Amino acid sequence: MKGKDLINIGIFSAIYFVVVMVFAMLGFIPVFMPLLAVLVPIVGGIPFMLFLTKVKKFGMILIMSIIMGIMMILTGMGFFTVIVSAVTGLCAELIYKSGQYRSASKAVLTHGVFSMWLWGNYLPLFFMADKYWSTRQDFGQDYIDALTKLMPMWMCPVLLVTAFVCGIIGGLLGKALMKKHFAKAGIV
Amino acid sequence: MIKLDPRTKLLLLLAEAIVVLGGLGGSSAEPFKTVFMVLPFLLLFSAKKVRTAVIGGLLLGLGLAAEFIPAGHSCSIILLMCSGILTRFVPSIMMGNYVMSSTKVSEFTAAMERMHVTQKITIPMAVMFRFFPTVKEECSAIGEAMKMRDIRFGGSKVLQMAEYRLVPMMTCSVKIGEELSAAALTRGLGSPVKRTNVCRIGFHAADIVMFLLCAAALGWIIWRSVT
Repeated sequence: MKGKDLINIGIFSAIYFVVVMVFAMLGFIPVFMPLLAVLVPIVGGIPFMLFLTKVKKFGMILIMSIIMGIMMILTGMGFFTVIVSAVTGLCAELIYKSGQYRSASKAVLTHGVFSMWLWGNYLPLFFMADKYWSTRQDFGQDYIDALTKLMPMWMCPVLLVTAFVCGIIGGLLGKALMKKHFAKAGIV
Repeated sequence: MIKLDPRTKLLLLLAEAIVVLGGLGGSSAEPFKTVFMVLPFLLLFSAKKVRTAVIGGLLLGLGLAAEFIPAGHSCSIILLMCSGILTRFVPSIMMGNYVMSSTKVSEFTAAMERMHVTQKITIPMAVMFRFFPTVKEECSAIGEAMKMRDIRFGGSKVLQMAEYRLVPMMTCSVKIGEELSAAALTRGLGSPVKRTNVCRIGFHAADIVMFLLCAAALGWIIWRSVT
């Protein structure tokens, strides 16, 4: 990996993170909390697919994934995400590598797997629920009740699968947009 | 002006994220929560960013005031949520603003190097923090251009809106990024030799005070959760 690759990781991490944050703000409305696993992978597919066209060496996806985890610690989402994102990032990396960093269908699959890092943000909701809510008393009991009703235990695996499926949809969307805009503009 | 080491600033940012944003310790950490709510404003004043501090202070005051409105109204859930968002996020955003505006990129890399963090993480992170303002600038420029052509939210074309905003923003960012990496390469970023740095960083009295504050907060939370 050379300096240019590292700079590319930084640029696309910035774009991806901004997109994630814009949608994550919607999570304050209780209904949108589980929906984040739908929205973020779909929209995030657009910058990520463009990023994949720049990925030619091992480790670039993994580093971006870990940086997302670090940013989640800094924004107070807990320490689980960085563990999850390291694992999913490595899996995504291996999948894209198996396509020699070229295969378009593998790229879509890569984004599906990469998107699963989001799931790490939900983990405290399920496994440390008491602690999680004790730190969020100031949102009011109504908010807590609404969210607990929305998030029964069986939602935990469902959210993981949702993130993956929507990641694939987002990947397809990103691919279509790339064909429409970026290939024409000579960015890819 | 208080000059802090970049490593101290990172620690403060983390403490802010854990104590105020993450709300660790719940109500038992209340005294330290107050300290960490006020701290970013003091630091902003010391860095002469008065305007940002005043705006942030007003927002935080609004959030705190909303908690005193008696519950029971139909709109109280929305009010509580807004106040929760404000009191939780404003201090952290202010701290982030202070850290970003008072730390040069080379200071950041120097600090990371001292902490023996690999360049594979520091370079992307440094680029990312350098790039956030650029993304914001591009976004607002695109917003203005769209306003001029009277394209706005509220129509039936929400998906197209995302496309029309994201695509130009990414196109610009990629172009800027290419220029940035060319500039960085001319400064010898990709060379295999060990880089030197002109920034002098080190711990001083102010840093020690901040470290003690963070340690005290951590100790207090642990002590309260044990007993």
